[in-house]
Amino acid sequence: MTSNDPDTGTRIAVENLVVRYSREVVAVDGVSFTVAKGEHVTLLGPSGCGKTTTLRTIAGLETPSSGSIHIDGRTMFSTAERTNVMAEQRGVSMVFQSYAVWPHMTVFDNVAYGLRVRKKSTADIKENVDRALGLVQMRHLADRAASKLSGGQQQRVALARAIAFSPTVVLFDEPLSNLDAKLRAEMRVELRELQRRLGITSVYVTHDQEEALAISDRVIVMNVGVIEQIGTPEEIYNRPRNRFVADFVGSANLIKGRVRGAPGPDGVIAFETEGGQVLQAIASGKLTGKETEVAVRTAYMDIGPGNPGDNQMPGVVRRRMFHGDFVQYVVDCGGIGNGGGQMIVRRPPTNLIDEGANVVLSFPATFCVLLEA
Amino acid sequence: MKTLAAHTGESLRTRFNWQIVVTLGLILGVGFLVLLPIAFLVEKVFNTGDPLAFPADQLGLGNIKALFEEDIEVFVDSFTVALMATVMAVLIGFTMAWILTRTNVRGRERLERLMEVPYYMPPLVGALAWAILASPKSGFFNQIWQAGGGKGSIFNIYSLFGIAWVMALFEGTVAYVMISASMKSMDPALEESARVMGASKFRTMLTVTLPLVLPGVLGATLFVFAEMLGAFAAALVLGVPGRIFLITTSIWSSVTTFPPQYGRAAALGLTLFLVMVVMLSFYRWIVRHGSYATITGKAFRPRPMDMGRSAWLLLSLCLLYVFLAVLLPLAALLLTSFQTFATVILSDAKFTFANYVTAVSLGPVRSAMLNSILLGLGVATIGVVAMALIVWIIYRSNMPGRGIVEYLAMFPAAVPRMVFGLGLLWAWLNMPPVPGLGPLYGSIWLFGIAYFTVLLPLGVRTIAGVVLQIDKSLEECARVCGASWGYQMRTVTLPLLKPGIIAAWMLLFAASVRELGASLLLMGPQTKVIGPSIVDTWANSGTELTAAMTLIQTATVLIAIVIVFRVTRGISREMV
Repeated sequence: MTSNDPDTGTRIAVENLVVRYSREVVAVDGVSFTVAKGEHVTLLGPSGCGKTTTLRTIAGLETPSSGSIHIDGRTMFSTAERTNVMAEQRGVSMVFQSYAVWPHMTVFDNVAYGLRVRKKSTADIKENVDRALGLVQMRHLADRAASKLSGGQQQRVALARAIAFSPTVVLFDEPLSNLDAKLRAEMRVELRELQRRLGITSVYVTHDQEEALAISDRVIVMNVGVIEQIGTPEEIYNRPRNRFVADFVGSANLIKGRVRGAPGPDGVIAFETEGGQVLQAIASGKLTGKETEVAVRTAYMDIGPGNPGDNQMPGVVRRRMFHGDFVQYVVDCGGIGNGGGQMIVRRPPTNLIDEGANVVLSFPATFCVLLEA
Repeated sequence: MKTLAAHTGESLRTRFNWQIVVTLGLILGVGFLVLLPIAFLVEKVFNTGDPLAFPADQLGLGNIKALFEEDIEVFVDSFTVALMATVMAVLIGFTMAWILTRTNVRGRERLERLMEVPYYMPPLVGALAWAILASPKSGFFNQIWQAGGGKGSIFNIYSLFGIAWVMALFEGTVAYVMISASMKSMDPALEESARVMGASKFRTMLTVTLPLVLPGVLGATLFVFAEMLGAFAAALVLGVPGRIFLITTSIWSSVTTFPPQYGRAAALGLTLFLVMVVMLSFYRWIVRHGSYATITGKAFRPRPMDMGRSAWLLLSLCLLYVFLAVLLPLAALLLTSFQTFATVILSDAKFTFANYVTAVSLGPVRSAMLNSILLGLGVATIGVVAMALIVWIIYRSNMPGRGIVEYLAMFPAAVPRMVFGLGLLWAWLNMPPVPGLGPLYGSIWLFGIAYFTVLLPLGVRTIAGVVLQIDKSLEECARVCGASWGYQMRTVTLPLLKPGIIAAWMLLFAASVRELGASLLLMGPQTKVIGPSIVDTWANSGTELTAAMTLIQTATVLIAIVIVFRVTRGISREMV
């Protein structure tokens, strides 16, 4: 686990969380992490990895089988202490995937709900609802019936409702997954902006790796109920711990082989590929001797000789695909790498290289990451 | 902080226990209501000694043996009628479903509503009306035939085919609803992709549409067949005058003749019950495993096919069905109810209000009507609360026993009403008097219990439909916003459920007022309800008075149904 900034303090602490539906089905299998005050942490993983279940246990909507959850030092759930605080008493807020905007109320009533529950004065309610609706640019629709809103508008109302009563923690359950791509990109920016401005602590669930990297302070990658890696978006992207993370987040070339000798002073090791070539790679954790793969991001491979000391691999360009923002080349490196020795390389579309051209791929050791077995 | 947490933990545990108590109470209560009559039915089957003794003083298989020796004809006739009626009903249902979901016939929306009307009419309406229309000699059709110079009778509704015809007309709408549901749940892209691949309209129909709809049609066939076997009204009104006895009417006659043959009635009842259980299990299996089209659970509005000029032909087919199943029967009853003797030759007719005056002023009839309305109000009100609780336990709690609750609540759907009434009759004859109410047998309370139990599946299904439409996160969101369970129920759950609960209330009310099968055997000399009273009047007084009473009953039911439609239309408009 990465260490937190010492002076921010912990807001949410989840320890050894297990959610078991039946003897065979374990949705969450011993998950532990902390979220610092004002931090935006994202649970990222494929569907069925337990990320939503984890989020719902924090909200109190699902009862874990064992483990503990603390918010601001207060025990929300603990099997050891036999405590389970009900959802409405946890003081957290949540944005649901389906928005859950109540169709029988107006926009104003929806947003005012949490304030009315807390018995705030009419003036207080008006002021806070106005502020929340202002933040999501929905003030002009306050009196509209919630059932008459578009998807994007409902999304904004759900967001305003979640922040209107100034909760310390907001949980997001795939809030953008029902929006179209363009709106999703816009909302991503707005969410990040809002989160920074209000200093809200938030836990965010998504299966969209791009979204997770773009808006998070830290990302927790989950798979089949366990945490695969926790780190900043850059750490997750640049130093994937294992094959799952390298494959699920971003796109990477996986090269099979084995470690040769002991690591050097700066953590650089020699890695012999199945084709017999020796690459300079770096290992993030301790070596066990069972490692069989290194990963190189497709964006970090350069076409050309590169800097002195970089790894180099000769090959032939087999396919070129123009994607607009980048060009993807399939380069045959003769038996090394993933699937028949073909490397995927993404370059900016400035200098196009023809299919059939002989090229040299180069990448520095720092981007060639040894994966845990 | 810690004490607060511990405290809330405590309150959570007590709530948890309360749910267990409610679930356990429901299992015991519903189980008792549902299974008790069946237990007594089984007991009577093997009781070969004194039929009124309980527990039985002599056990044996004599009743079942007698069934095979003496009642084979009853079974053959019943299956013949059910088979004929099923074929006709499924044909009607399929044709109507195809026309109304897949073609561009005009006024489809309105026709769809009209198609559902026969479903809500009291079961006696069709049988009585068709008896008036097509009975030999005095039936309206035969009157016209004779007035036109014809000899004898050309129509005889008092026949196996006649019974099947009337059953088919009224079950046709059930088949229609089920088949059209499976047609609507089919993604039109499945057909369109076949067309794009180069298949003709006909080939698409044969290779894509039909296989996808087939499980739905098969399911409807089984369901309708089971319903036909348990149907009573048409078998009674149209079968008995021609000495045709089906299973249900045989049960009725064995109980009402003297001396009553309880053993035979029980054996017939149990057989009918077992056949229906097999049919309905098979139906459920098909619905669960055989259907591809309903997997998504989404309703599509398929792009209707342009039928060109034949659209008019299809429209007239629809209208013909509505005419035969709704307009003609109601018109015949209406005409008859205003006459001193029923005739369609208007120059001979003597018009009068006397039948309606008698219907409202005749002591037993008035009290029967009053009792039925009272029962409707009571059963609907108590039923809605109890059934809402059952639905909440089944679909929103995570109690371990909720599967059992669901099974028990749906169980009465597999028991023919008549058989259920039979078991209930014996059960409460042998029950000690309830403190404060006296003996239940022969009292209005027994009807209340019977109605509540037989209407459980209808009520639970209706309320569940509404509850399932409400996304769980709407409730969860309220909790996360800080609302307690009570506050959440008051501000979110109940306002969203309100239209559905009103609709369920009205449906239960209507179903209570039109109830016949279970009431018939429970009715004693002191306490009467409207359904069986109409049967009595028909057997002992004139057709004209019967017609007037049936129309009053129908009007009561239809008014309730119209309110349901108004309310539910309100929901869909609000939710869109």
